[in-house]
Amino acid sequence: VSSLAVTDVRSGAAGDVGRVIDLELSAAWLVDPVAGRSGPADLVIREGILESVTWLEGDEAAGVDEHGVIVAPGFLDLHAHLREPGGTSAESMSTGLAGAAHGGFTAVCAMPNTTPPIDRGSTVGAAMAAAEESGSPVRLLQIGAVTAGRAGEQLAPLGELADAGVVGFSDDGSPVQDAALFRNALSYAAMLGLPVIDHPEDLRLTVGAEASEGVVATALGLRGWPAAAEAEAVARDIALLAEVVRDVPGARLHLTHLSTAASLAHVRAARAGGLPVTCDVTPHHLALTDEWLAGARRWAWEAVDANGESRDPWRDGVLAAAPYDTSLRVNPPLRSATDARACLEALVDGTADAVATDHAPHTEVDKSVEFGAARPGIAGIETALGLLLEAVDAGLLTLDRVVAALTVGPANVLGERVSPGWLAVGQPADLVVFDRGSRWTVDSDSLLTKGFGHPLGGRSLPGEVILTLASGRVAYEAASTE
Amino acid sequence: VTSPGAGTRARSGEDQAEAADAVSRAEPAWPHRHLLDTDVLSWAQIELVLDTARHMAGIVAGERPRSTALHGIGVTNLFYEASTRTRVSFEVAAKHLSADVVNVAVSGSSIEKGESLLDTMRTLEALGARILVMRHATSGAPYLVAREFRFAVVNAGDGWHAHPTQALLDLYTLLRHIPGASLRGRKVVILGDVLHSRVARSNLWTLTAAGADVWVCGPSTLLRGFEAWAAAGVGGERRFTVTTDVRAALVDADAVMALRIQKERMASGLLPSLGEYAARFGLTRERLAMAAPGCLVLHPGPMNEGVEIAPDVAAGPASLVTAQVGNGVAVRMAVLALVASAAGLSTGGPT
Repeated sequence: VSSLAVTDVRSGAAGDVGRVIDLELSAAWLVDPVAGRSGPADLVIREGILESVTWLEGDEAAGVDEHGVIVAPGFLDLHAHLREPGGTSAESMSTGLAGAAHGGFTAVCAMPNTTPPIDRGSTVGAAMAAAEESGSPVRLLQIGAVTAGRAGEQLAPLGELADAGVVGFSDDGSPVQDAALFRNALSYAAMLGLPVIDHPEDLRLTVGAEASEGVVATALGLRGWPAAAEAEAVARDIALLAEVVRDVPGARLHLTHLSTAASLAHVRAARAGGLPVTCDVTPHHLALTDEWLAGARRWAWEAVDANGESRDPWRDGVLAAAPYDTSLRVNPPLRSATDARACLEALVDGTADAVATDHAPHTEVDKSVEFGAARPGIAGIETALGLLLEAVDAGLLTLDRVVAALTVGPANVLGERVSPGWLAVGQPADLVVFDRGSRWTVDSDSLLTKGFGHPLGGRSLPGEVILTLASGRVAYEAASTE
Repeated sequence: VTSPGAGTRARSGEDQAEAADAVSRAEPAWPHRHLLDTDVLSWAQIELVLDTARHMAGIVAGERPRSTALHGIGVTNLFYEASTRTRVSFEVAAKHLSADVVNVAVSGSSIEKGESLLDTMRTLEALGARILVMRHATSGAPYLVAREFRFAVVNAGDGWHAHPTQALLDLYTLLRHIPGASLRGRKVVILGDVLHSRVARSNLWTLTAAGADVWVCGPSTLLRGFEAWAAAGVGGERRFTVTTDVRAALVDADAVMALRIQKERMASGLLPSLGEYAARFGLTRERLAMAAPGCLVLHPGPMNEGVEIAPDVAAGPASLVTAQVGNGVAVRMAVLALVASAAGLSTGGPT
């Protein structure tokens, strides 16, 4: 029923990123989390500007449902590693932003663990320039380091970073262990009106850790990463936030990639108590589990029993793949099915404000090695939507919730500095069009990231992205629309 | 061949012959080109190793001439961790089969110089390695190699994960010495640093497959994670018992396997001292007296005598420590011959 007509209005071949187009979308299923409405609609875009949105009623809407072509505001990723500067053999601004657009994202927060790290105003400027040069219209939202050199010893020049345009502060994978310093960071960032984003991990509990502590790690002889290492850090952060908000009411703490039931319970309780703490979960922590390390290849929601307890992959006879696949090495590690279920529930009930990808590409040299030597990270920015749609197809999430967690959810975490145009009529269009019914195969041909290896390699996912428009320009276009 | 494990119904001889026939049509008796752990072995396959090893023992004992099963075939021992007994055992085993043996010892420093494991494997393959016997400090390392190596990989110990030939030789040794030659219902205790032990993990698969009543015992810090595994069961079904109570573990035991305690455990805060370990968990004559009469004693070696095992127990009448070493050669010969055959390498039969 849906139809999509693309007309080039400016020079540039079909498929060229950055070009401006006219677009008429008829009888698509529009999800607008800003208006809190979804349904059949027509959209008209002229020279990149969203000219009209017409919600369809009656006969015009007949046969249009949320299983076909979907239009949503462009997604915003709170957590990605684009590896520039210094790591362009793993990813570049160009490939990272191209991958983002393929995943439906029109704005990406880049973590500052680059070489050199983004801990000064000048490096922010260099990263912004690299994004501009890439030609991608996907917006780079740079995150600055919390501490100088991400060394956890003294504050980075947070004011200078704020002036240079960062949207928040994080030391990400090298989380600030010194509680006094972290408290100061929360306070100082609040003065600047920016959130501190913490990767909660007590590093003393995770020395050499390879896999989530549990039966799979025990059977595979992998060093355990206890859930307590995350829950304890979350509890510390929340306790510090409670102190800081008394002094600086604008303080904001965002906890990224929470992966355990215990951490999410802490956040749920803190929010019930009115604390300004937000959090995100990743697609891989809610869809995949530690049993994938042993060779299982079923979704997390298929790996729990009726009581919500993790099933045993050996008993179920589901070990289909070879164990120790390094594409599954990630930090925090893939957890039990019970924890994955907790991540999903947190997303459903709003405890988790957003889904963030923690897109973390690595080179073949860093991944084609022993499991314990492999760099942690899943390059998942292109597969986030598909994994979430698998959960929707399984009846565990609604499409509206998925879109909200990829759009208004993360935008609210970042606050006023980030104001996407999205579906505002008269503004440059910022949206994604995907075909929920169309499956695509995850492999090195389909993925635009440079990252080596993917846990879903060779498998198919629903929701092939057809077109991504960022700030009125083409960021990604599937070959089929040409 | 029937499994002695739980849940196997008794079958008539005719049924068995028919079943065995069906199995041999469906897949070869030994389909494993690599031996990376004992977890993938059916009881029939374990018995095939043991039967083959019994045959090989005659060669080891000098009763029969050496085999030419691996004549002209390159067996490379690639050891990333220092090891004397396992490496020599594989070397002797390969020589009894007339293989061409190459030993490669890689120190930690040369890893840091940067050649990746896969590059090393490709180099050795180009130099004629056809069976790669691998020892590595990282759990799962042989799986990486097996994915790309064109011939056969035998795991000689990976990190905390697996040491399949050790578990098979332990089983072989136990079955030779236990009255009735069966472990069904027999209490077998694994005592010591279970957390860090690849020997313990591989033995859990084989001993439970053999139907033994397996207990693991040690200080709580060195049993981390095993209570949950015991509850889930090995392979999702074969339960074992975890305890910190050495008395409960040893009482009426038919066999006890002591594991090596390493000094690093104190540095990482897992144990107060070796002395405290010896006092609470050391396998002494007094403790062994709690076990069933004639309780067999094993140790994968090398032993810290006076720490995890008292010298008089290690050298005592029930000790199989020396027998383990001798049996190790026969079991490794069996494994080398079987993987060679599955990889299409053998020039002759298993003998």
